[in-house]
Amino acid sequence: MKISNARDPRTLLTAAFLVLAFLIPLFIGSNLYYLTILILMLIFIIYASAWNFLTFSGQGSLGHAAFFGLGGYAASLLALRLGLPPLVTLVFGGAFAAVIGILIGLTCVRLREWFLAMVTFGFAVIIQTLVVSQLAPVTGGWDGYPVPKLVPTSIPGYLMIEYYLILIIAIAVILIFHYLLKSRIGLALAAIRENELEARAAGINPVPFKLFAFGVSAFVTGIAGSLEIFHFGYITPEIFGIDLSFWPIIYSITGGLGTLAGPIVGTIVVTLLWDGLNAVGLTYARFIIIGVLLVLIIIFLPRGLVSIPEEIQKRIRRKKS
Amino acid sequence: MDGSIGILSQVAFWGLYSGCIYILLATGLNLIFGVMKIVNFAHGEFLMLGTYVTFFLFVISGFNPYVLLICSIPVLIVVGIIVERLCFRPILGTGKLNEIFISLGLIYIFQNMVAMIWTDEWRSIKSPFSDITISLGPLQLPLDYLIIITVTILILVAFYLFLQKTALGRAIRAASQNRKGAMLMGINVEKMDMLTFGIGAGLAGAAGTLWAVSGQVFNPYMGSIPAIKGFAIIILGGLGSIPGAIVGGLAIGMVENFTAYTLGGSWKDAVSFILLIVVLVIRPTGLFGEAEE
Amino acid sequence: MKRESIFCIFLAICLTFLVLSSGCTEQQPAAQKGEIKIGVVASMTGPASTTGKDIWQSAELAAEEINARGGVYVKDLGRSIPIHLVQGDDESTREGGQKAVSKLITQDNVDLLVGGYSSAVVSAHQAIVAEYKVPYIISGGSSTSVSHRTDIDTSYMFFHRPNTDDSGEASVMFINEVIRPSINSKFGFSADRKLRMAVIYQDSPFGKGQLDAVKNLIKTENLPIEVVAEEPFKMGESDFRTVLTSVKSKNPDIIYAVTFLNELVPMTQQARRDVGLNTLILSIENNDDPDYYKGVGSYGDAQVMESRFSPYAVPKGSTEEATRQFLSNFDKKYGGFAGMMGAATYESVYVAAEAIEKAGSLEKAKIRDALANLAMPQMMEIMKGGIISFSPDFHESKFDLYVVQLAIDPASGEPRPTIVWPENLKAKEFMLPDWYTPGST
Repeated sequence: MKISNARDPRTLLTAAFLVLAFLIPLFIGSNLYYLTILILMLIFIIYASAWNFLTFSGQGSLGHAAFFGLGGYAASLLALRLGLPPLVTLVFGGAFAAVIGILIGLTCVRLREWFLAMVTFGFAVIIQTLVVSQLAPVTGGWDGYPVPKLVPTSIPGYLMIEYYLILIIAIAVILIFHYLLKSRIGLALAAIRENELEARAAGINPVPFKLFAFGVSAFVTGIAGSLEIFHFGYITPEIFGIDLSFWPIIYSITGGLGTLAGPIVGTIVVTLLWDGLNAVGLTYARFIIIGVLLVLIIIFLPRGLVSIPEEIQKRIRRKKS
Repeated sequence: MDGSIGILSQVAFWGLYSGCIYILLATGLNLIFGVMKIVNFAHGEFLMLGTYVTFFLFVISGFNPYVLLICSIPVLIVVGIIVERLCFRPILGTGKLNEIFISLGLIYIFQNMVAMIWTDEWRSIKSPFSDITISLGPLQLPLDYLIIITVTILILVAFYLFLQKTALGRAIRAASQNRKGAMLMGINVEKMDMLTFGIGAGLAGAAGTLWAVSGQVFNPYMGSIPAIKGFAIIILGGLGSIPGAIVGGLAIGMVENFTAYTLGGSWKDAVSFILLIVVLVIRPTGLFGEAEE
Repeated sequence: MKRESIFCIFLAICLTFLVLSSGCTEQQPAAQKGEIKIGVVASMTGPASTTGKDIWQSAELAAEEINARGGVYVKDLGRSIPIHLVQGDDESTREGGQKAVSKLITQDNVDLLVGGYSSAVVSAHQAIVAEYKVPYIISGGSSTSVSHRTDIDTSYMFFHRPNTDDSGEASVMFINEVIRPSINSKFGFSADRKLRMAVIYQDSPFGKGQLDAVKNLIKTENLPIEVVAEEPFKMGESDFRTVLTSVKSKNPDIIYAVTFLNELVPMTQQARRDVGLNTLILSIENNDDPDYYKGVGSYGDAQVMESRFSPYAVPKGSTEEATRQFLSNFDKKYGGFAGMMGAATYESVYVAAEAIEKAGSLEKAKIRDALANLAMPQMMEIMKGGIISFSPDFHESKFDLYVVQLAIDPASGEPRPTIVWPENLKAKEFMLPDWYTPGST
């Protein structure tokens, strides 16, 4: 890890990126549209990073919207019933998602990756059904319920404050992931991902590590879900939708699976591309372009957009020799 | 009560019918998994394409839609082969979950291409037999469903004979049992990949025609949920086991309909996954799956 | 190498779009007040896109007509200015809706918003509209959970649609006043026999809202109707056989179906054909659409439907001419029929124009006041008292809803509707069909 090396271009890039993230609102002012896009982008960066963290342990989920929504419902219900400020209940939303995530993880750790993908997908469907039927007295069923905003709209420039709050949360989340992956836990996760049998032989019991990864991922996803709900000011069961499970996958793959920068780059590029295509008036073609992009990246750039500089270097070296 | 046995057997009949669609989907998925060891989440898009091919040909030709099976199966086989060559071959043996991710891309591509061509309005076609219903005691047996069940059985029998009796079928089975061994025996495994993928897509195409003929409505987004259930079925039945796919397909068809009868229609999708999770907790390899590794 | 170059080209195209996008979203100069900007919130993509297109095209038609007549006279400017529509695609999702609406408000600086369909999508961008105080004429979002919200300031939102309580009330009144007596008299039942009604509803805000409205009404009015079955189904369902078998075992006299069109077609066919359920199915206004009549075919015979805008059963009277005109203009421009949501959006654009003219200004607060005090003659859909106005409490316009019964038209082989209720609109009497069998107790 050369993160501390100031001459490393990656450090420079990260620094430049951070400065940009903090300064952007100064350039665009408190423009509702840009801030909305940026806030949603940040929420999805957190969400995609959380999903991506799971893949560090060699697991994959197709139903992360379950945790996204559970976090949202838990946090907003607490905020409503107990009158706690949203910033506090966020953590409870994440914790609730994490508990459920570990329970799901317990049933899944013995399963192979395809099975896990299916179980998580099914879990999102089951949760949504529960929320609109049996749990409807608490959740309001399909109608949902209004939720307080993260920052009350009565405060002037509340959207800007919201942006900075979410930005700080996003940075914190990514820093935590960074240190987790550098720690012994990260090494163990990598060993399990590369070869579970060998990891076992080396004395690593994969089960607690996998559960840990699942719990952390669900926790952060729950926080992202709560953030979205507190941003919208209204919650409905659409939060468990299939598309919400798929977006973080698309973002992470586009940016680069198994890298910290991947989900960030992926989310930014794909959302900008998406909104750009929307602005030029493409409808179905927008989905087709995203689909083609995804397929091409998996085939030709398996490590995502963040690996482009390396690929170019490799190409140049090959040409020289 | 007008004989609750009568009602229950009626519900069982509806379950049998929906089981047919699932069986065709799951058998194809399972065959592909057996040979290539990949799962194609975009399999439902083949089902959807099958309905649209049937719809398109029905509108321009006006033939009996059952006859259109002769067209929808080959068209889908070709589509399947193209998809295999372009998308799945390059990623064989790369990341563990890459095929799932690539199928997400394919889902977007197929759904929206169809939406561009035929718009995303709901469509349906009418079978010439749709007015004929056979009453058997308390049971209502529409002729169309009897035909659909028969056609499914015929397709499965033909498929079984193909696997057991022909040289190609034997080669596919060999590749499925032991890929390296088959390669050593001079079987062109890549060709088998292409072929199995094509056949799998063809079976989904057949399911698509049957879906359309039964008077069910369809739109470009209709494929995902049946395909994911098809995938739940093969996990339930055991990966790579064709009898498992058939039993699993019937089981899901029945369970879904009985759940709709008892718990109400909102649980129809969720119950398949509850069943799946319960089975996996008890038997992590599925009902008929062999313990691997 | 060759494949990689294809990839490079694709990447390059994507990058171009990226650049384009930053160009396109460039802040536009403050409105030159040379035109009225109306944002149309419509689902141009995603599951609701069929309705979304209907909404957008109808709005376009209305704007064109108004502009052809010289636009809208604004007193402050002392001249007439044309309407300019801006499309906001909500992608049928809550995130998409929020982006679209915030873009319309801040980038396009619209004077007014119309449209909005799914209740869930609308609920996620209402807060923005409330904060920026842009008048919003919502033609969808039929759930009262959207229009009766109290946590945000809804004073700038106006709902030009019947809510689920309104349409539920009309249907139940019809069942109680017309269907129940005719069953009783035809089969010799006593007049106080309770009608056995089964409700099959879509598991969504729309379906739940209708179910609650119907049950509430029966309870508060103490109507002699018994709800013998409540069966939900998943949105987009196409296999109702089991649900219908279950309903059949409860022996209903009538089925109250809260569905979308794509669900009602298979439900009706499967009820009559597969399950042998020889009973009436009463459906809700959004199904009164040519696609339904085409899809359902002969099985639609004698079925009943609550409606407010019908392509074939145009009510006699003042609205007839406007409706025919709209339908034929729509057909000329786009080919095909306009739907109910289209009609409501078309009227919404006219409502917007009227409000601006009344306000004599493009100031949002003045437009809002004009909308709140609006009393405009009805156009195509029949309103209570013949005028479009918004109720003082929740800003909902009140419709005079009617019920149609279908009969097979020999020429096309498809069913066609005729109004059978209420008294002042009906063109023929409601008839129980020969095949109808009542539910025994």
